[in-house]
This record gives sequence, structure tokens and C-alpha cells, in this order.
Amino acid sequence: MAEQHRADVIVSCLHGRCPDLIPALQEEIERRGLTTEVEVVESGCRGLCAMGPVILLQPEGIFYTNVQPADVPELVEETLIKGRAVPRLTYKEPLTHKDVCYYEDIPFYNKQMRHVMHKCGMINPESIAEYIALDGYQALAKALTEMSPEEIIAEVKKSGLRGRGGAGFATGRKWESTRQAEGDVRYVVANGDEGDPGAFMNRSLMEGDPHAIIEGMVIGAYAIGAHEGFIYVRDEYPLAVRNLNMAIEQAREYGLLGEDILGTGFDFDIRIVRGAGAFVCGESSALMQSVEGKVGEPRPKHYHATERGLWDKPTALNNVETWANIPLIINNGADWFASVGTERSKGTKTFCLVGQIANTGLIEVPMGITLREIVYDIGGGIPGNGDFKAVQTGGPSGGCIPADQLDLPVDYDSLIEAGSMMGSGGMIVMDNHTCMVDIARYFLDFLKEESCGKCTPCREGIRRMLEILTRITQGEGEMADLDTLEALARTVQNASLCGLGKSAPNPVLSTLHYFRDEYVAHIEEKKCPAGVCKALIEYYIIAENCTGCGLCRRKCPQQAISGEKKEPHVIDLELCIKCGICHDVCKFDAVGVR
Amino acid sequence: MATLIIDGQKVHAEEEQTVLEVARANGIEIPTLCHHPLMEPHGACRLCTVEVIRRGWSSLQTSCTYPAWDGLEIKTNSPAVREARQVILGLLLSRCPGVPLLQDLAQEYGVTEPPFPTDDPEQKCILCGLCVRVCHELVKADVLNFSQRGIERQVGPPFLEKTRQCIGCGACTIVCPTGAIEIVLEQAAIYQEKPLGPTSAIYVPSLQAVPRVPVIDTDACIRFRQNDRTEGEIADACGACQMLCEAGAVDFTQQDEVIELNVGTVIVATGFEMWDPAKLSQYAYGQSPNIITGLEFERLSNSGGITGGEILTADGKKPERVAVIHCVGSRDHNAHEYCSRICCMYSLKQAHLVRDKTGAKVYEFYMDMRTFGKGYEEFYERVQKEEGITMVRGRGASVEVLPDGKLRVKGEDADLGELVHVDVDMVVLSSAIEAPHDAERIGALFGLSRSADGFFAEAHPKLRPVETNTDGVFLAGCAQGPKDVPDAVGHAGASASMALALLNKGEVTISPTTAKVITERCVGCGDCVPVCPYTAIALVEGKSEVNPVLCKGCGTCAATCPAGAIQALHFTDEQIVAQIEGVLAWV
Repeated sequence: MAEQHRADVIVSCLHGRCPDLIPALQEEIERRGLTTEVEVVESGCRGLCAMGPVILLQPEGIFYTNVQPADVPELVEETLIKGRAVPRLTYKEPLTHKDVCYYEDIPFYNKQMRHVMHKCGMINPESIAEYIALDGYQALAKALTEMSPEEIIAEVKKSGLRGRGGAGFATGRKWESTRQAEGDVRYVVANGDEGDPGAFMNRSLMEGDPHAIIEGMVIGAYAIGAHEGFIYVRDEYPLAVRNLNMAIEQAREYGLLGEDILGTGFDFDIRIVRGAGAFVCGESSALMQSVEGKVGEPRPKHYHATERGLWDKPTALNNVETWANIPLIINNGADWFASVGTERSKGTKTFCLVGQIANTGLIEVPMGITLREIVYDIGGGIPGNGDFKAVQTGGPSGGCIPADQLDLPVDYDSLIEAGSMMGSGGMIVMDNHTCMVDIARYFLDFLKEESCGKCTPCREGIRRMLEILTRITQGEGEMADLDTLEALARTVQNASLCGLGKSAPNPVLSTLHYFRDEYVAHIEEKKCPAGVCKALIEYYIIAENCTGCGLCRRKCPQQAISGEKKEPHVIDLELCIKCGICHDVCKFDAVGVR
Repeated sequence: MATLIIDGQKVHAEEEQTVLEVARANGIEIPTLCHHPLMEPHGACRLCTVEVIRRGWSSLQTSCTYPAWDGLEIKTNSPAVREARQVILGLLLSRCPGVPLLQDLAQEYGVTEPPFPTDDPEQKCILCGLCVRVCHELVKADVLNFSQRGIERQVGPPFLEKTRQCIGCGACTIVCPTGAIEIVLEQAAIYQEKPLGPTSAIYVPSLQAVPRVPVIDTDACIRFRQNDRTEGEIADACGACQMLCEAGAVDFTQQDEVIELNVGTVIVATGFEMWDPAKLSQYAYGQSPNIITGLEFERLSNSGGITGGEILTADGKKPERVAVIHCVGSRDHNAHEYCSRICCMYSLKQAHLVRDKTGAKVYEFYMDMRTFGKGYEEFYERVQKEEGITMVRGRGASVEVLPDGKLRVKGEDADLGELVHVDVDMVVLSSAIEAPHDAERIGALFGLSRSADGFFAEAHPKLRPVETNTDGVFLAGCAQGPKDVPDAVGHAGASASMALALLNKGEVTISPTTAKVITERCVGCGDCVPVCPYTAIALVEGKSEVNPVLCKGCGTCAATCPAGAIQALHFTDEQIVAQIEGVLAWV
């Protein structure tokens, strides 16, 4: 059990940004004789990835960012001994450079609502004791001793919790039909096969608070009458696998998993199944095939998994984030949960905010928050001189939402109406230097690689759409291509076997819908308005800005730039390979793209 | 029972049926590529997509996988369905532009050219997975599977390498809708050597077979081969015939059994075998698939045969010229010296069939025309005069396979007195018929002797043509010698009458003069058994025993017995000595 200490130094970022930091802290604390007073806690993700590793000093609540081993002596001396903050290490607002010393004052956090991620970054995920100390497994005890399975399902239904994996199916209803389905064996499965590029919500949760998922699963298993559960985690998340395994072991030791849980006579155990990293295995039927030991390919889903799931038995398959919400609902009640969110989307949702945004990182927000609040208040706006252009939600198969919809509330139904989807929570912010045709091409390229190839529309259709998009970005598109693209997209959407194919045309359809003029510019004017598509742009020197410093001339790998010192330079377009290095190195904004 | 509406038509569905099954049962055709009734639905090609309206919601679904739930409304040919099929076929045609099946289907949906550039014009595989499923579900060899994903997806054995797991059953080639799989034989053992033999592992031996039931060739059957190969571990492979048989008549547990019957008479009707014309190399049998024997021609022209009765050469074309060579292996000092009797007439019949079905020119190379039966001569006249068969009098001397695949038949035309040759597309060898290879063994079993030609000898060539030297054993048909059908029927009728006459009497009259074994003296040496011409003696529990019904009392055994343990009754040594003494007493 954890001992009582005067202060906790909670270090976050398990992703290995700075492996030397914790040893350096421990060494310094020991050197200064503070071992009995101060404890160093290695904790899970706190979300502010752009500034990691971060340290939260409790009980004061001082928050440091970008801490390096070299900062440790000063930190210990100033803060732990003298009780003063080190201004150099405190959080600075990315755009205003305003100094914020205390955790609770940081805008990135105070617009958030960290419920599911509450313990993540607060506790040591390797310690069940710390989880229990923060009310962990209290919900399990309550559920198993005070509630009947029907009551639990009723509570979950009442809470309005919907699946956090993307489709947003009502969790309570799913459990109810699993419980009512015919059959003696039932399963619960947690989907931790997060595959979207730029998404790491599930990873952070599994790494930072594995017990929450386990607790949710045990409650769910009790509610539907299952005795066996599986957590499907991709093997690219070794730390998640390790922490989950460790948590399962500890839970078994504490009698919270296995036979006769908490002495109630209820048996349930969990096994981890490691996925080999195919994106399609995040799709429920492919995931179940994979758990069954078969090739991870989708199968027709006319019968819901609640009736015929794993090994054709009734199965409740939920995202790990959904499972982690369960203890909160049981502990605090359905009304508490339903008080957050919109009419049809309740509770909070985690997102990974990435792309052209100041505060990249993991956030948790109440449902119904607007995109504007996410991008500008939490995300800190667009860095550099760019303007917000669009945000892509729902991962590669989601859609792009343009600037004029910034006040769109983020919930399941609004996002679908806007031509995108919730997905598991990827959120990629794009500024005006992003070409939407190229973005559609990029996502289709990803999906082409990840299509399992079983059904014709997805396998052949994505590839053909990609070919057309590639042609357009190379300036070889025709207007008729847009019709072909739409016809292909319609068929891939309507006739594909699984969710991957059915949603694959979303990037194309949503960009065609909102940014058709960009497509037309590529095709008719042979121009890339965002200056991204290499075949359609050229670099040139803006003579009035050029100081003739010669940096671009020296950096050009093709020796395509020439000019006298202190005279405006010129780019020889014959030699230029459009690598953009000149543009990147110029300190005077003298290299333009057109 | 569920009721649903398909294209406005109210139809009923059984439990667990799919929309596709119900549609097809009601005569509504939906195109499919990856579907096979014997295999699990796969839902990969998506061609069978239909519009499903359920509880007011309309969506496109694959009919091969969609359960025929009560209250569904299905549209199999709505504009949305047609668009989806059109795009899907366009995508598949772009992948495999050279597959006729796809070309035809695409044409139906208005796609005449591949709408997208093709990577590999030779590509035939549409990744429908039928081969993978047949190998897994029916054959249970699990040789084929998919590897890679997305557009790189392909079908093959593990690591795309040759594998001994493949039993070469060819099931994958049969189910493949686009002809993308070819089995390359390394050892010819897998397929029937003669392409005109039975073509599947379960078949009705002949169309006239009685009883007309199929048999399973366990050497060719996937199930039995998998069972043997895995020493019984996979005992339930394939079984397609059993699944298809509505009468439930296929029983894999049936075993060969030996039935022992006690009978009063035996008719030996063991028939004949075809003589193998490869034994005479000048006929080049086996060097071209278009050189066939008369029996193979019968199979070819049979409506139950591999071409459905069309007379075609191996490359599927109608022949323009056909040569028939008589007396191949008959009347030949290098083969059989006897005349096989049936060849002249069947050759003329086959010439008639060729003329009738293909219009090809027919050349008959013959030595003499033996039209011995009723109406035979008239038929001979007819094919010559009315059908224009060219008769070349003189044995066909040789067949040569020309580089272009044509066949050159050479011979001497005795009427013209000069050497002739003709180039043809097909040669039919009227090969000899001969006694079965195991005639010797059968003969020993029943104590039958054989004539010089190898067929069983009758008791008397003129007066007892169906009897043998063993009482109660009769001959019928070609077991006795070459016969055409009417002769064989007549012979068999006579044989049956003889047998029935014996049976009807209920008892046999035997001569009292038979051999008797004096058991105490018999040492069981067995010397008497082989010498008995009537197979009347056998060793029973170490002692000789004479069957008095068979014994003719010839005394050979008595003379042979070294122990003097056999006596011919009424001709015992004592009796003979007494007779001698009686005669001599007078002297």
C-alpha cells in the first residue's frame, strides 16, 4: 500500500518521451534526503502531448511542462524545498505566451471535463491500490452486492450511454439484448484495437487506467450473464498489453476477477487477445473472427453480435472507453451521467486533437461542445499564420467539416448530419495550407492499404477512387472524373461488406461536398489553391522580400537557386524539384508558392 | 414460415433460408459469382446485391447472406441495385478484362469496355474465394487461402509454394467461375489416364446399368482419399454427393462385402476385355488424343458422355475427316489370330454416326467385310451407297501424328493394288476383344478349360455349346468367344434354360460309380485334388473328401493316391481282382 507523503511528484508521459526523467528525480530527491517526504509517481497520459513530459506537483497543483533531466535540481530546490514555482517550467499559452502556474487555471484543462480520464495521469497505473484509493472497484462492489443484473442494465439504459467506438449504439440496449438472447454461454469483449492514424485515446486509457476497463467489464459481464471476457489490443501497444496484464493479475489477486468475485459467487475472467495491427480488426465482426483465431476479416452481420457474436454466442462488444464509463455510471448514478451532454448524446467523449493546432493532445469534453470551443479554447487555435480550414473527425473514414460549421455541436447525430462521424475520437485540424483533395487522397491511400480485400467494392473501388484522386492532384483530372468518383463512392458506401468499406468514401464525399471548388481548381485551372500538390505548384522568389542572404541557394539540393549577394535571387524552374526546402528555410517570407 | 415480397411477388421461405435461395426457388434470377449452394455464404463479390426494405428502411444487402425474414420487401432489379451491380461489374471487368463470364455479365448491365485501366490483362481471379472455401469446407485439405490484403490480396497455398497438402482433387478448378485455376500434373496418377473414362469420382457405370445406381470410385473420391491420406483423421471431407442427394441414398460407410451363396448351378458370363492397341506401335495409340478405340468412341458419342454426345476432337472441334481401321489386334499373327467378329458391324455403325452427327468424310480400312447377321449385309450396302462411306480394302498399316496434329493413315488398297494414305482429324481403332486377364483364375475355380484363343471351352463345339465339362456350370456370351449382342443374348438364353432345367428338377441323377476316400488311410497329401478333372475332390480338415455329385468315377484319383486311400466304388481293387480271378478260374 502507498505510504503517506508530504508531496507527490506526478510525472506523465509513459510514451517514453524522456526515460531519464524519473531516475533523475528519484536520485535528486534521495540526495536531498526527501525520500520519506516526497514520492515520485509515474502516471498515465495527461493529454498535453505537445508539451510532454509534464509534471504535476501535489498538493500545490503546480504544473510544469517540457521537463528535462537537467531541470531536476532546480525543480527540487525551488519547488520541493523552498515552495516556489520555477517560472521557466510553467505552462505558457501557445498563442499569447501567457504564464499559467497552476493546473486548474490552464485553459486546455479547464474547458475539458475529465471523467473517464480522471485517474489517468493521477495514479500509477501499475498500482491497484492507487486505483482503489480513488474509489476504484467501489462500483463493482455496489453492482455485485446491491444491484440485480436487470437494475444495472436499467441504470446504463437510463444514463443514455452510447458506444464510444464510433457507431454510437445504445450500450444499455446492447446489453439487454445480449442478456435476453438465447444461449447458455455469453461473452463480453472490449475493443482496444485503435487503428486510426493520429488517434491514441484508447491507448492512453489502457495504459493509464487499465482497472477502469476491467471494472466496467466485470460489471457488464455480471449484468448480461457472461463468465468470460476478452480485451482485444493491438500488439503495437506493448505498454497497454503490459499494464492490462498486470492489472488483470492484480485484480485476480484481490479477488476482483476470477472465481467467486468479492465472495458473491459470481465467476468471470478476462483474457487479452493481441491483434496483429490490421485496421479492419477494429470492425466488430473482423475483431471477433480474430479472437476466434481466424483471419481478421469481416463477415456479414445480419445478425447482431448480441445474438450471434463470438463463436456464434451472444456477445456484448464495446469499446474500452465505453467500458471505462460504466463504473462512473454505477458510482454516480445515471442521472449524474445524463446531466452532461445533449439530448441524444450523453456524457463525455475523449478526442485526440492533432494536426495544425497549438495544443495537440488528448482531451475529454462534454458531448455537445462546439468544434469552435475545442479548436480555439482547448486547442489554443491554429499556430503560425494559418487560418482554420476544416477538421476531420472519425478517423480515416470520417469526413471533413469546414470552417462555417465550427459552431456544430460535437455529438453523434450532428456529426453524421454534417457528413462525418464520431468514430472513436480522432480529430485532425487543418489550416489553409492543407489541400483537401490531397487530404482525401491521403486517407484513401491509408484505406487502400487497410482494406482487407474480401469484398469487391471496397477492394477495387477504393483503389480506383485513389487513382482518380491521384490523377487530379497531378493535374491530369477531368471534370467527368468527379461524376465517376461520386458513382464509385456511392457503390462503395452502399454495397461494401463492412464498416470500413461503407465509410471509406466519406473523405471523398465530404470534401467533394464542402470543397468542390478546390477539386475544380485542380482540374480546370490546374492549380492547387493550398499550394500542396507538387505537380500544380511552383516556388518563386518574392523579390521585394528577398534580402539576398543566400540561405536558400545553399540549401537547395538541386542548385536551382541563383543570385548575387544582397540581390534578389531567382529559382530555375527547370531544375526545381519542388521539395520546398527554400520555402521552409527562408526567414523573410521571400519564397512564395503559386 | 416467413412470407416476404420479392419484386412484387409474395413468396414463402423456410427457416434459415437466405433471400437468394428463396428468390431462386421462385424462379427469380439474381446474378452471383462467389455463391455456391454447397458452401457457406461468403458475401464477397457483392453482385447479388438487392434492395431490402425492412421496417420501412431501405438498404442494399447481399441476397446470398441476408436471412429471408418475415415481412421483408425485396427489389432485385431496382435502379439502385442496377447501379451497384454496374459499378461492381465495371470494377471486376477492369481487373479481369479477358474473362468471358464477366464480359457477358457486364454487357447485361451496359458495361462493354473495362472502365478503368487494367494492371494485368491475364488476370482471371476475382477473389471470390470459392476455391478457398471448397478446399476448407468440403475437401478439408485447407491448401488454399488468401494472403496479403486489399488490392494485393491473392489466393494460393502457403507462401505460394508447392505443397504436399494438395491432394490434387481439382475441386477448386471445378468451382472457380472464371477458370483462373489450373492444375499442373507432375505425376499423371491423379487423373484418369484415359480422358474418355468416367470423369468424376461418383458415376453410373453405364447408362444401361442395372440397377441404375451410381458407384463411388474410392481411389478418385476426395473423401476417401483424404481419409486414407490422414489415416482417418479427416474422415468427413467433402461429402458433396451426400449433401446433394435428396433421397439420402449416399452412404459412405458401405463396405465391399463377400456374399457366400450355396447354389445348384453356375453360369459363367465373365465377358471380354478390350485388347490394348498400344501393343502394336504402328497404330500410334496414346500419341494423340484423337486416336481412340472403338469403345472410347462409343463413350464419346454417347449422350451421357463428356461431350454430351457430340463427336468432337480433343480441341473441341468437329472432325472433317475420320478414319476407321478394322482388325486392330484381330486376325493378326502379332496379336490375336482369331476374328473378333463384332468389329466390322460396329465400325460401320460408327461410320454412320460420324456421317450423321458431323458430316465428316469417313474412310474404312478393312480386310474382309464380315456381315454375318440378319440385315447386316443390307446395312453395309446402305452406308456405302447412301451415306458415301469410303471403303478401302486393305488393312490400315500405320498411323502417323503429323506436326500440325493431323493424323496420317497409310495402307494398301488391294483393289487398286497400290499404297494409299489419307490425312484425317480422328482415327478410330476397331481393336480386338479378348478373354479377361483373369480368365485363368476363373477357369481354375470352376474346372473350366480354355480354347487356344483364351476363351472358355464349351463341352462340344456343335452339340453342347453352352455346357462345360463341369456339371452344372454353363457359359454365356463372350466368356465363350467373341459374340455380337444378338448372339450373346441367344447364348445366354440357352445357358439360362440349361441351368433352370437342372434347378427345376430339384435333384440330380448321378452315377453310382464314384470315388470314395478311406479316411483312415488318407494322409492328407492332397495329390488327388489337382488331378481331378471335375474338381470333385477337396481337402477338408486335412483329409480328402469326394463330392459324389461332381465325381464321374473316372478313377484318376484312385490311381494317383500313394496311400491307396481312394477307391472307385463298384470298381474296388477287390472287385476287380475277384473278376480277374473269376475269368481265370474258367481257364
